[in-house]
Amino acid sequence: MATTFRGWKKVAIISLFVLPTLISVFLISLYPILYNVFISFTNRNRFHYNPPTEGIFACTTEAQGTYCWQSPILKNYTDLFGPLVTPESLLSWLKIVILIAPLVITYLLIERVRKSNLSPPDTWWWWLVGMGGSVGIWYVLNLSNAIDQLMNTGDFFIVMFRTVLYVMACMPFFILTGGILALILNNDAIKGKGIFRTILILPWAVPNYITAKIWEFFFRDESGTINQLLSVFGIEGPAWLQQDLLAFVAVVIINIWLSYPFFMTIILGALQAIPRDQYEAADVDGATWWQKLTQITIPLLRPAVMPAIVLSSITTFQMFNTVWLVTQGGPIRGAGKPGATEFVMLYAYKAFRTDRYGATGAFAVVVFLLLFAATLVSMRMTQITKGAYE
Amino acid sequence: MSKPSKLATIILYATIIIAVLIAIYPVWFMALASVRPGQRLLALDLVSMFFPQDITWENFQRLLFEEDFIIWLKNSFYVASLTTVLCVSLATTGAFAFSRFQFKGREALLILFLAINAFPGVLALVPITQILRSIGLFGSHLGLIFAYSAGTLVFTTWNLKGYFDTIPVDLEEAAMIDGAGPIQAFVQIALPLARPALAVTALFGFLAGWNEYIMAQVMLPGKEELHTLPVGLVSLAGDRTVPWGLFAAGALMISIPTLIVFLSAQTYLESGLTMGGVKG
Repeated sequence: MATTFRGWKKVAIISLFVLPTLISVFLISLYPILYNVFISFTNRNRFHYNPPTEGIFACTTEAQGTYCWQSPILKNYTDLFGPLVTPESLLSWLKIVILIAPLVITYLLIERVRKSNLSPPDTWWWWLVGMGGSVGIWYVLNLSNAIDQLMNTGDFFIVMFRTVLYVMACMPFFILTGGILALILNNDAIKGKGIFRTILILPWAVPNYITAKIWEFFFRDESGTINQLLSVFGIEGPAWLQQDLLAFVAVVIINIWLSYPFFMTIILGALQAIPRDQYEAADVDGATWWQKLTQITIPLLRPAVMPAIVLSSITTFQMFNTVWLVTQGGPIRGAGKPGATEFVMLYAYKAFRTDRYGATGAFAVVVFLLLFAATLVSMRMTQITKGAYE
Repeated sequence: MSKPSKLATIILYATIIIAVLIAIYPVWFMALASVRPGQRLLALDLVSMFFPQDITWENFQRLLFEEDFIIWLKNSFYVASLTTVLCVSLATTGAFAFSRFQFKGREALLILFLAINAFPGVLALVPITQILRSIGLFGSHLGLIFAYSAGTLVFTTWNLKGYFDTIPVDLEEAAMIDGAGPIQAFVQIALPLARPALAVTALFGFLAGWNEYIMAQVMLPGKEELHTLPVGLVSLAGDRTVPWGLFAAGALMISIPTLIVFLSAQTYLESGLTMGGVKG
């Protein structure tokens, strides 16, 4: 189509189509982001809120009520990162890298063996060796000390660390519950799949601010439904949302309930795409149910599930509504310290609410860069997996 | 596949029935609370935690005739639909161009769109509230529409581009051989073909605004007559003394239509999950 037009005519026609969209995207979507980058270099906050009358470039004093360039200009960023690049912190980082190394090496070795051998040997026990190595390193290098040291460097690491922990705690359960339910729904012995499937998707379909409030009620200490149920069995339920670990567990449980339908749907779709004759051939060879699952089903699910994991990690990483409406980031120990469930978005929101605009801006830029990188990874994966299916 | 044994079948059914119960219980709980007399979510005994006892429609009545529920409903509908109309109409031509034309900077622009899409709404609160304050739109529905459009516009463009990619170009080429210009090809061939895609994209844009909570909470402070549904409903569930039955009744009335819409559009959602198929 593009070949039909040349020169100015082509430019004119393309502009006619592209410009309305482009101009509005620049004004409505891009401008706020650029403005945010600008704010991140200023000292704008509760005490410096007005634009300087003499212009931001001439503004050098910290006059009351006017905001200026932050001095030094990267101060908002160094406040976030500064304590994380001291020699002491760098040593802790190095220890963390060494901790992960055995797992990465195991993964790379397994991939190599897989690619070079026509019939790859059992490699699951390699993971045990790798994990054993990591556990050993944990004790030898005293990793809990290293993490404590980084935790003491300030909010940024604490918030990031907890958010990543949250994502890592959720993901296996998402895959497991979604996978098990998809496998059952894909089984010929089950009747009424349509109805089951529709009901199982409910948690995804109901607006999440509503379900968040209901779950918040479930987890209340005395009147909460979960503790009421426990008391029937003579168990006195804990005050879920008042204890750090339990509050964390509670938001993980809620997120599993919210997110398994997504994985169930994706995995079910992928299961239905697996050709039947693969299983028939395996049956002829006398394969057990477990062998079929691990040798046929799981390898064939990988291309569909991997992008879903990345996508869902991104969503979980920036989860706001549910956690906010259930715990408000709490329980909070001490003023000015992030609460046990104060994940990235909640932290940003609280900083915004306390009018720390410059600092929030810098935090937003950093988080955005991370999210964009993750998005690019997920795109690459989708493209690779598309190749795998074609 | 070989048939599982009887015992295995029973285990499969048991698992799925337990899962179904867990999936449905919070919604069922909401339904129970909405018809329970006495304005509380708390059930006194085990039976009433699972089965309705004295049914009252008082909550629904109060919500519809005494509270601002209908106003919230109108506000939400207004904000969400205006955002959708704005975004879809601004995005369609651009999405078509990105799908059909090759031009300088196309790839770069697509990456830029992707980057903008990665910027989460909560992080955009700082710049957007500042901008809205300086142009005097803070605290108005128009301001909220602007805030929603910041995210929805880019999403809509990406999504529609993905759908245009799936429509074969042959028809348009045939039309152009017959002497149609690109504008004619777009209006008379591509747009009618893309109608279902437009509808679905619009639907998701609408649902995003319809279910959005925190921006509406921040951007419309203190003005109850401007509240959207999520903000209004959550305010009903605010603390321990508030009328929970009202919240449950409102939540139920909102959930059911949202649910039906979501479930009927769900097959389209799946295909759009990867943001409308990302071919470079």
